[in-house]
Amino acid sequence: MPTREEIAVMVRTVISDVLGTEPGEVHERTSLAVDYGIDSLELMEIGARLERTLQLRIELRDLTEAQDVGHAIDLLETRLAGVR
Amino acid sequence: MTGGHGPAVGPRPADRHPSGGRRVAVTGIGVKSPAGNGLETAFAALLAAGSTATRVDRLVEVDLPVHFACLVPPFDLDAYLTRRESRQIDRTTQLLLCAAADAVADAQLPADQRPDRVGVQIGTGIGGLPSMEAVTLSHGDRPRDMPVHTVPRTMANSPACRLAMRYGFQGSCTTYSSACASGTTALGEAARKIRYGELDVAVAGGCDSAVSTVVMGAFARMRAMSTRNGEPALASRPFDADRDGFVMGEGAAVLVLERWDTARARGAVIHGEIAGYADNCDAFHIVAPHEDGEVAGRCMQLAIADAGLSTADIGHVNAHGTSTLLNDRAEARAIARCFGRRPPPVTAVKGVTGHLIGGSGALEAAFALLCATRGVVPPVANLGSSPEADLVDLVSGTPRAVAPAHVLSNSFGFGGQNACLVLAPAS
Repeated sequence: MPTREEIAVMVRTVISDVLGTEPGEVHERTSLAVDYGIDSLELMEIGARLERTLQLRIELRDLTEAQDVGHAIDLLETRLAGVR
Repeated sequence: MTGGHGPAVGPRPADRHPSGGRRVAVTGIGVKSPAGNGLETAFAALLAAGSTATRVDRLVEVDLPVHFACLVPPFDLDAYLTRRESRQIDRTTQLLLCAAADAVADAQLPADQRPDRVGVQIGTGIGGLPSMEAVTLSHGDRPRDMPVHTVPRTMANSPACRLAMRYGFQGSCTTYSSACASGTTALGEAARKIRYGELDVAVAGGCDSAVSTVVMGAFARMRAMSTRNGEPALASRPFDADRDGFVMGEGAAVLVLERWDTARARGAVIHGEIAGYADNCDAFHIVAPHEDGEVAGRCMQLAIADAGLSTADIGHVNAHGTSTLLNDRAEARAIARCFGRRPPPVTAVKGVTGHLIGGSGALEAAFALLCATRGVVPPVANLGSSPEADLVDLVSGTPRAVAPAHVLSNSFGFGGQNACLVLAPAS
């Protein structure tokens, strides 16, 4: 199972690719809704890419309910632990 | 200008179109075309009459019968679009948004312009098919992995609606698909919407980017395209005896159309006027034009009459001129039918630009406005001898100087679509 740090790198990379920014600009405290005004299609694209990368079924609710990027990483870490 | 100095109450006669509606000014132009990415650069290339067709390696690699096309030269996309926007849209929409940005900047619309009175009217013949083709090739065998933005990227109205979204233009937003006439249809319909009071401003034009394996392969299967692979620069030769088909181009052109009276009142730079428009259909064959040119000739007459003019008022004709035998011959007959014994000079820009499909009519209207105002008829690139020379007065070799005058700009599309604009010079 990937470490939290490895998950964080994957998440930041995918988010920055979809939003056309750099991974370094996506922080734990970044809110995709507040800071980027992300729309539902972009969120689903991020979810779809993470599903492929992490080989994990991701509930859309996990993405919409996450307060910020750090929270989403925590949720993904929990889900991955559950799968294992 | 003559006229009274009384109070400006209601539309003055000078602001009225012969139809009784409003005159339509062109106050902004933007192009992203094989001939160049700025209007003046592209116009200079047009007058120089050198073809922009070049070999395209990816077409050679997939063994298409056609190895070349006219591509939009690279430019700084990041100056126009955020990377986030660019990732969600295809090249057709990118080119349209960039041309529109130039046109809107050129028009300098007033800050208090009501957004619900500004419409977007865009033509595309091929629309999102090339990007759907790309998704089919990349994800056809694993559909669950398709990009989430596939539908919004490929839908035919994506360019127009992205443009409306970008500026918050909330008036009528329509996408026209009349094949190779789409850009002309969009401009004509946009002008009508202003003329008859539905809109005050229209951002209108056309776009296509279809230099793709399936689209070009499909056109090639009809033998509609030139296969002069050894000499791409000589391939697009409208009306020339040695033509062997059209050359695929790509690009977008956008014009900002505006009520003449308000454009004048705010002191806008006016590039000219969309004075007349007509469209009709051969209703004859799904791709071939009717060889007698009767319906197409009638479309030209209707457009000229719509402008309140007679054929003698037309300074020259900007022909559709695709470099296919069937189009060029039928069009020459149609022009001869329309103008009778005193045909004005005829040019065709596709020798330089290739065929932008939905973008062509709008790019050609932009060029025609400059030609109308500057009194010049560009030569047809690659034109030597023509079997149609006995029907029409084709301009070849060097630009021909004429008096500034109205220009008739023709577009004809698969399906028998005929669309004609009459463009008035800036006064």
